[in-house]
Amino acid sequence: MIEKDILTLGIESSCDETSAAVLRGGRQLLSNIISTQIPVHQKFGGVVPEIASRKHIVNVMPVIDEALSRANVGLGDINQIAVTYGPGLVGALLVGVSVAKSLSYALDIPLIGVNHLEGHIFANFLSYPDLEPPFVALVVSGGHTALVHVKGYGHFEMMGQTRDDAAGEAFDKVARVMGLPYPGGPQIDKLAKDGNPDAIDFPRALSKSRGNYEFSFSGLKSAVLNYLNSMEMKHQTIVKADVAASFQKAVTEVLVDKAIDALSETGLDKLVLAGGVAANSSLEGRLKHAATEHGVKFYFPGLALCTDNAAMIACRGYYQSLTGKYSALYLNAEPGLSLESRMD
Amino acid sequence: MLILAIDTATSVSSIAVADDSKIIAEITVDNRLTHSETLVPHIEAAMKISEKSKDALDGIAVSIGPGSFTGLRIGLGTAKGLSYALKCPIVGVPTLEALAYHFPVPGVYTAAFADAQKGNVYFGLYSFKEGNIIEVKPVQVLPFAEAVSYCGTLDAPVMMAGDIFRKKSAKKVSLPENCDKAPSNLLLPRAANVALLGMRMLSEGKKGNVMDMEPIYIRKSEAEVLWDRRHPETAAKSEPSSIMIDAISGERGVRND
Ligand SMILES: [Zn+2]
Repeated sequence: MIEKDILTLGIESSCDETSAAVLRGGRQLLSNIISTQIPVHQKFGGVVPEIASRKHIVNVMPVIDEALSRANVGLGDINQIAVTYGPGLVGALLVGVSVAKSLSYALDIPLIGVNHLEGHIFANFLSYPDLEPPFVALVVSGGHTALVHVKGYGHFEMMGQTRDDAAGEAFDKVARVMGLPYPGGPQIDKLAKDGNPDAIDFPRALSKSRGNYEFSFSGLKSAVLNYLNSMEMKHQTIVKADVAASFQKAVTEVLVDKAIDALSETGLDKLVLAGGVAANSSLEGRLKHAATEHGVKFYFPGLALCTDNAAMIACRGYYQSLTGKYSALYLNAEPGLSLESRMD
Repeated sequence: MLILAIDTATSVSSIAVADDSKIIAEITVDNRLTHSETLVPHIEAAMKISEKSKDALDGIAVSIGPGSFTGLRIGLGTAKGLSYALKCPIVGVPTLEALAYHFPVPGVYTAAFADAQKGNVYFGLYSFKEGNIIEVKPVQVLPFAEAVSYCGTLDAPVMMAGDIFRKKSAKKVSLPENCDKAPSNLLLPRAANVALLGMRMLSEGKKGNVMDMEPIYIRKSEAEVLWDRRHPETAAKSEPSSIMIDAISGERGVRND
């Protein structure tokens, strides 16, 4: 089998999206099917883990079946299976892992357990066929914020990550307090478009210290909540659009500053944005602007590939297989898996 | 008919390989909850011990609930993958009925319990007649003490089994005179029973569909119960469902099941 013809079936079920994808080689995406549960969780104001698991077990086979049929391949043509084994909701992860393991056993093909966060970075390889390491990746997802020096396909160096709340969590909590429907991130993004980003001066935690790539958003989150409370106590009108715009500016400024710092320290000229929060248009816009100002090339996987999907898992799995990083059938879900430095 | 059976509804993880005439192999482990890790390796081992090729399987039987939500999904997810890849039928076997199959004794009842948390149980009542398990009372959720005292009112001896007897709280409930607890070798489910019942169901044409099969939960999730309590007016309304999207073309609602 020539490497570029290897067919990888990717499976993803870490949160509220059930997804399956077929990838030829490392870059040629044949299908990417996503079943989203957002409408199901909306009334609860967030993802309910038990409900998510219940939807995954129903959706998982139709999604796989559809991914194969859209790719125009049979299950017997698949050479290997890549599945997200963490981080995420344990019950949700277990659905994908159980199905992937039994498919791997039944078809006698290798299994590759993939770190979901590494998957987010690899989404960029699908959008940019010519993109190659090394580069700096800014990972901004619901539960994680991190700057990673990607030195090779299996060689990452963690530059810094969040100490407390991830950027995505801050977005969700602020949105909830402002009474915006779930999912909160896109709602704040939308609202912020009509607001004044300089209306309120929220704090930028840890932003001043050069060479420190840790993030902290819990202070900012508290500042927004305090602001909303105090305005309410004083019976003053809250201009939600201004709050959203100012909060969003505070978050994106920190992210942009640190990313630019990381680029100058590593001397690299490629910045890659990854993760669900990457869909935030203001963050994408500011990063792109800052990157261009600093003569840096900016990469962003596009909306469909920056939310949770199996294509990115298949892509990560493919490159993992090249260095022989397969998993045993004993693979278990690891809800607390983190993004770490590694050298395969 | 060569069949592979799976039961991960409780703390027991059990696999059986059976054909029409016998249980060929069974691997039953009750040693910490590691079903998600060991289930597929145990299936591999059971098939190897049986000296059967997986391509020769005529069906997959899976214990479908009620039981531990996560355990049921591990079993069903695994069974679905096998059924889909090996192109053989799948059948969901009611967990408590399979448990009652431990006691094929005419003239007595079997009360099968599965832990439903907070002192509650899933409770099913069965009898045995002419080689068949008969459901006397459909499975319901009750406080354990209430289910036990109901059994005390029955007109025949009652054999009781289920993981609820592993709970400390269950020891406080004293059993009525006509009731007795099963010994530890028959207290919890085993896949051999699932295999036999599954084979019968398949021969009766009772197949499941991997595309829409769900465990039998009986209970809604905690979040839904709370929601329904606070919003009685919307409780009966139909629920929104997931939307399938082709992320390459952007087409939404690509498949209607
Ligand atoms: Zn994600």
